[in-house]
Amino acid sequence: MGWYIFKRLIQGIITVWFIATATFFAMHSVPGDPLLNDRAVTPAIRANLEAKYGLDQPLLTQYVIYLGNLSRGDFGISFTQENRQVNDIIREHFPVSAILGILAVLFAALGGVLWGSLTALYRNRLPDYIIMFLVILGISVPSFVVAALSQYSLVTLNNAVGQTLLPVAGWGTILHMLVPAMVLGLSTMAYLTRLMRSSMLEVINSDFVRTAKSKGLPPARIFTRHQVRNAILPVITVLGPQIAVITTGGFVVEIVFAIPGLGRFFVEAVQQLDYTVIMGTTVFYGAFLVFMVIVVDVLYGFIDPRVRLK
Amino acid sequence: MSEALNLANNPMLLEVENLAVEFDTYGGVVKAVRGVDFSVEEGKTLAIVGESGCGKSVSVQSMMGLIHMPPGRITSGSARLRGEEVLGRNELNGKEIRGAEISMIFQDPMTSLNPTMTIGDQIAEPLQVHRGLSYRQAFGEAINLLEMSKIPEAAKRAKQFPFEFSGGMLQRAMIAMAISCKPSILIADEPTTALDVTIQAQILDLMQDLQKETGMAIILITHDLGVVARMADEVAVMYAGKIVEHGTVDDVFYRSAHPYTLGLRAAMPNNDPARQHELKPIEGSPPDLFAPPKGCGYCARCPFAMEVCDKHHPQDYFLGDHHFSCCWLHHSDSPTKPEELYFKENS
Repeated sequence: MGWYIFKRLIQGIITVWFIATATFFAMHSVPGDPLLNDRAVTPAIRANLEAKYGLDQPLLTQYVIYLGNLSRGDFGISFTQENRQVNDIIREHFPVSAILGILAVLFAALGGVLWGSLTALYRNRLPDYIIMFLVILGISVPSFVVAALSQYSLVTLNNAVGQTLLPVAGWGTILHMLVPAMVLGLSTMAYLTRLMRSSMLEVINSDFVRTAKSKGLPPARIFTRHQVRNAILPVITVLGPQIAVITTGGFVVEIVFAIPGLGRFFVEAVQQLDYTVIMGTTVFYGAFLVFMVIVVDVLYGFIDPRVRLK
Repeated sequence: MSEALNLANNPMLLEVENLAVEFDTYGGVVKAVRGVDFSVEEGKTLAIVGESGCGKSVSVQSMMGLIHMPPGRITSGSARLRGEEVLGRNELNGKEIRGAEISMIFQDPMTSLNPTMTIGDQIAEPLQVHRGLSYRQAFGEAINLLEMSKIPEAAKRAKQFPFEFSGGMLQRAMIAMAISCKPSILIADEPTTALDVTIQAQILDLMQDLQKETGMAIILITHDLGVVARMADEVAVMYAGKIVEHGTVDDVFYRSAHPYTLGLRAAMPNNDPARQHELKPIEGSPPDLFAPPKGCGYCARCPFAMEVCDKHHPQDYFLGDHHFSCCWLHHSDSPTKPEELYFKENS
């Protein structure tokens, strides 16, 4: 197991290096540069700035310097924001995104497993039809629509009650987190519900569930120990990448609910061609995704013994 | 029929009477089992033989409540364990029927065990549920059961997962699990079909040994006449959802009284060079159970078929205490008595 984790970590580092390299060259091949946005830069000032940031160096030299900094965990200084280290931006804003993401994933995973199992057990009966209809809705309605609608409902609710039950936007307490997390996790929950349903249907008709029934076990025990435990495996497989997708893809929800997460900086940096922030956030997100996949693979080994030994 | 069988003056452990099972499908209603009677004595082995799709598995699985309802449906019949009805019930006198009174092993041991639980845990489960043992006690008992099933290093093996076992070992583990609560009946649904021949013999030996030790009855479902000859006390031959011939092993093999049994025997290979013969397949295919024939189901494939066979279903003609054949040839007015078949002496 230790060797397996070590091997996966080495693979992960190679993947992250690949992401860093691809991002670096993709970004530098885009027309324009970070200084373009500034007002009336004279050629002399421009040359000074380029020298300061190392933009006058050949691309390969820049790449080597960049890799050197990266290996020391230094993402550099932001081009567009005064006096801010990219590391500081990530340190301040990623925890917000991460908490929101984790809540959203928990909501999505619990809901997905529960609704998926229910629809499978009630296959082709009313509960199945209702939940599957909502699932299609959850997958196809974009998150900014759901976010706006839920904000509108919150306002109506708070007005009706006459006090603020749940805040409409902002960040701080657990109450601020609930609704955005649900909105953020909704489409993933819908996706996981479908996945869980089909995998549960397969398990329900499997030979070992028939064996469990022939042993005379109570239905609750068959459900938890024989059905869910096997049906949940594909859900866990996609959970790792989904955690990363949710955590990094939350900027729409972050903007609608005025949440100070990392997503907003990511998008703004791309718009302003802020090289260091783009590189920093991309590599950081890439590393985060790779790490989550490894975590899930290790977790998988604990649930499915067949993976553990290999 | 069951009254007649009871003439042997042995109280029957399990009596199944007129069991019929249907399935709703997109193509219509399949009448998979169309009125089946059989009974098992304590400590004896009943073999149910027949080709694929004849309803042998469905009849026992419906009795165990293992068919999905819907689409499945038991339309008639009763199954009595020591005189008490078990169909549609979970408990009998406070004892769980499934797993405790009647237990079952299946055709494919590779897929019949939960891949994410250790073998020991799976054997311990029925003990925890039916006998109220603690996990530790049940696991210890599971190791004993694995030893009884002749699995070497049982204590180590109990902590392993199904994928670490071979097919034969898994079937042993299945047997250990099935006998864990000392059931009075073990139903073995083609227990050796997925195993290779040497392992088959070991599994059958194990089942016989355990039967001697525990005195349980075995219902053995198979299409392998070699297995029947070796294991069974009584044999029921099934065709198209009905039992066409029933008797002791000797009755069915040496005094075959139904053309279908004869056809099965002719299609069976044997390794006696003196009696080497070409295998004769039974021509045609079984009848469509969406619309079962009015008369005898075997009529279309039967070399001795008469006009009456197509129109009317024959009754069971008794040729001995336990031996009956469901065939018009045994009617007293039957014009022919083919010499390959066994007939009652005085008829």
